[in-house]
Amino acid sequence: MYKDYLKIPWKEIRRRKLRSWLTLIGIIIGIVAVVSLITLGQGLENAIAKQFQALGEDKLFITPKGNPLAPGLTTDAVKITSDDLEIIEKTTGVKITSASTYLTGRIEYNDLVRYFFVGGMPTDPEERKLLGEAQNYKILKGRFHEKGDKFKAVLGYQYTQDELFERQVDLGDKILIQGKEFKVIGFMDKIGSPPDDQSVIIPFDVFSDLFATNEEIGFIVAQTQPGEDIDVVGKRIEKALRKHRDLDEGKEDFSVETPKQIAATFETILDIVNLVLIGIAAISLLVGGIGIMNTMYTTVLERTKQIGVMKALGAKNNHIMALFLVESGLYGAGGGLIGITLGIAIAKLVEAIFVAALGPALLSVEINYILLAGVLLFSFVIGVFSGIAPARKAAKLHPVDSLRYE
Amino acid sequence: MIKDYFRLAYRSAKKRKVRSWLTMLGIFVGIAAVVALISLSQGLKGAVAQQFANLGSDKLIVQAAGGGFGPPGTAVPDPLTENEKKVIEKVQGVDIVVGRLIRIVKAEYNDEQKFAFAISIPEEDDAKVLVLEVNNYKLLEGKFFDNDEAREVVIGNNVAEDLFDKKIELRNKIELQGTEFKVVGILKKSGNPQQDDSFVIPEGSLRKILKIPDEFDVVPVKVKAEEDLALVAERIEKALRKERNVDEGKEDFTVESPQQIIGVLNNILLVIQGVLVGIASIALIVGGIGIMNTMYTSVLERTKEIGVMKAVGATNKRILSLFLIESGFLGFFGGLIGVALGFGISKLVESIAFQQFGESLIKADVSLTLLIGALSFAFIVGALSGVFPALQASKLKPVEALRK
Repeated sequence: MYKDYLKIPWKEIRRRKLRSWLTLIGIIIGIVAVVSLITLGQGLENAIAKQFQALGEDKLFITPKGNPLAPGLTTDAVKITSDDLEIIEKTTGVKITSASTYLTGRIEYNDLVRYFFVGGMPTDPEERKLLGEAQNYKILKGRFHEKGDKFKAVLGYQYTQDELFERQVDLGDKILIQGKEFKVIGFMDKIGSPPDDQSVIIPFDVFSDLFATNEEIGFIVAQTQPGEDIDVVGKRIEKALRKHRDLDEGKEDFSVETPKQIAATFETILDIVNLVLIGIAAISLLVGGIGIMNTMYTTVLERTKQIGVMKALGAKNNHIMALFLVESGLYGAGGGLIGITLGIAIAKLVEAIFVAALGPALLSVEINYILLAGVLLFSFVIGVFSGIAPARKAAKLHPVDSLRYE
Repeated sequence: MIKDYFRLAYRSAKKRKVRSWLTMLGIFVGIAAVVALISLSQGLKGAVAQQFANLGSDKLIVQAAGGGFGPPGTAVPDPLTENEKKVIEKVQGVDIVVGRLIRIVKAEYNDEQKFAFAISIPEEDDAKVLVLEVNNYKLLEGKFFDNDEAREVVIGNNVAEDLFDKKIELRNKIELQGTEFKVVGILKKSGNPQQDDSFVIPEGSLRKILKIPDEFDVVPVKVKAEEDLALVAERIEKALRKERNVDEGKEDFTVESPQQIIGVLNNILLVIQGVLVGIASIALIVGGIGIMNTMYTSVLERTKEIGVMKAVGATNKRILSLFLIESGFLGFFGGLIGVALGFGISKLVESIAFQQFGESLIKADVSLTLLIGALSFAFIVGALSGVFPALQASKLKPVEALRK
C-alpha cells in the first residue's frame, strides 16, 4: 500500500520525461547556486579560522584603538611606544613579546617607483619567530635578518615574479626604500593575501629612523608562559597598560585580543556578506518552486480522468492528496540531490582555481554534511509546499465530473 | 494577419489562466530582483557622482601617493608640506589652494570614549569660504569659529545625535585628544557619512592637539575660471616634481580632478553590481526554463489544433511565430509586472535609507532606459525559451497531429 505512494508518482514523473527534467533543472539551478555560495563562504571562514588557529592558543595581540580600517597601522589618535612594550614585558605570565609596525613606503627598483607596505620587525631570532608565527611568514630563499643587520630587506613572494617591477628581484640586488639603499637578503614564501605578498620587511630600528616614527609601534604580540590562562594574562596586561597610560577602566585606547576574538570579528562581517548573497540566490529557488507548482497543476489537469477512476474505485481524498504531494516532493528532493552534487563540484573547482592562483591561504572548502542534509530537506519541503495547492485541487475533484472530463 | 498572431497567443494564454500566471510569476520574481538591484546600485552611483559634482569642474585635488587604508592622503611615506602648498600657489592658473588635514581623533564626552574623523578648516579667508562652499557645510545651529587657535569645534549631525549615548548640545564641552573643546556649531545632516560623522576643527587647533607641525593630507586647488583644468594639472605636476625632486613617471603624489576619482569609485561599484545582478539573474534563467516547460506542455495539448491549422494551409513558419509570440508574451508581461515590483522595492529601500541616514545617500534610479531594457530582456528570455517548443510544434506532421 505505502509502496504504491512512491511507485505511482515515480511512474508519472518518468512518463513525461521532458517536462520532469525541465522542472528538475529549475530546482537544480537554484540549489546549485545556494550550495556553492554557502560552501565557498564557509570555506573562506574556515581558511581564516585556520590562520588564526595556527597562531596557537597562547598569543595575545595588543593594538592601538582608533583605526577601524586597518588594525596594525599607526594612527595619530593613539600611539603605543616602546615604553608600553616594556610594561607588557614585565607583566606576570608574559613569556616574550615582539613588536612591529607597518607603513606604506616608497619602493624603487628597476627604475620604477611603487608603494607597498614596509614592515619593521625585530632582529632578535626569538622575537622574530613569535611574529613570524603570528603572520605565517616562512622563508622561501635566502635568509631572515640576523642581529646586527642594518640596511637589509626581506621581500614578499610577489617580488620573485615579474609583475611588480617588470622583472623579478634577485638575492643580493639593491632596492631603494624611502630613498635609502637596501640589500635583498631573502624572500618569503607565498602567503596568499596580496598586501602580505607585496610587503617588505626591514629591521625595526632602521624602520623607526627611516620613517621617523619615534619608536612608535603598530602592534605587539605577547606570548604567555606555559600553564598560564591567556584570558587572565590579557586582563593583567590591560590593567598594567591602563595604569601606565593613566586611563580609567572602560576607556582604554588600546585593545588586548586573543586570535579567537579577532577571528570572530572577521566571521561576523563574512556572515553578513554571505547572508546577502545567499538571500539573492534563494530567489531562484523560489522561482524553481513555482515551476514545480506549475507542473503539478498541469499534471492534475491531465490526469483528471485517472483521478476520477481512482475515486470511483474507492480512493479517499487524502489518498489522492498524498499521491500528488509525494510526486512534488520527489521533484524537490531529486532536484536537491543533483543540485547539491553540482554545487559542491563547483565550489571545489573554484577552490582549485583560487589555490592555483593565490595560494592556499584564502579558501579551504570542507563539505559540511549536516548542512547538506539541511539543504536536501529544504528542497524536499519546497517541493511538497509547491505541491499543496495542486494536490488539494486534485483531491477535491468530483469523481463523476472527472470521469466525464475530456 | 499580425494581429491574429497576438490574438491567438493571448487567447491561448488566457485559456490556461493558472498556468500562465504561474509562468509569469516565475519571470517577474527574477525581473523584480534584477531591476531592484540595478536601480539601487545606479542610484548609489548617482549619489556618489552628486557628492563630487558639488566640487565643481574647476577643482583639482593634490595628494601624496601611497596611502594604504584609511582616509585619503594619510599614512603616506612622504606627505605634502606647507612649502609645497606655496609652490602650488605660485603655479600659473591656480586661483586658491587649500590645505586640509583629515585624521582620526580620540573623543571623550559624558565619560564615554570614541574615535572619529577630525577635519581641518584653514585660517585664510578665501580658502575658508571655498572649503565651506565645496563641502556644502550647512549649520543647523550655532556658528563657525572665528579664531584659528580657538578650542572650538563644529560637529557633524551624527556626532551630535548618535556617536555618544548622550546627545551633544550646543555649548557642551567635549574632550578631543585630551584637550577640552567647546561645541559652537552643529551641522545639518548631509547624507554623506564621512561628513556627518566627523569633527570640524580650526587647522591651528587640530595641529596642536595632534602635534602635526607641517603636513597636509589633501590639498584641493581651485583653478582660475579661464584656465584649462588638464593644463593646470600638468603644470602643478611639473612644479611638484621639481620641488620634491622626483623624475617624471616616478611621482610620489597625484593631481586628480574629481571626475577621475569618480571613475575609480564607479569601477568598484560596477564590480559589486555585477556580482549581485549576476546572482539575481540565475532566478531569470529558472524563470525562462519555466516558460519553456509551459510551452512544451502547450504544444502537446494543442497538437490537434496545430494539425487543423496545417491542414487548412498554415506553413511551418506561421506555426513557429505563433508559439514564439506566445512565449514572448509570457516573458513580456511577466517582465512588466516585475519591473513595476522592482521599482517599488527600490523606492521602498530608498525611503528606509532616507529615514536611517538622512537625505540623498541612495536615490533609486527609475529610468526609462532601465524600464525598456528590462522589458525587452524579459521578452527575449521568453522568446528564446519558446524556440525549442515552437520548433517542435512547427515540425509536426499534419496528418499525425490530426490523429492525436
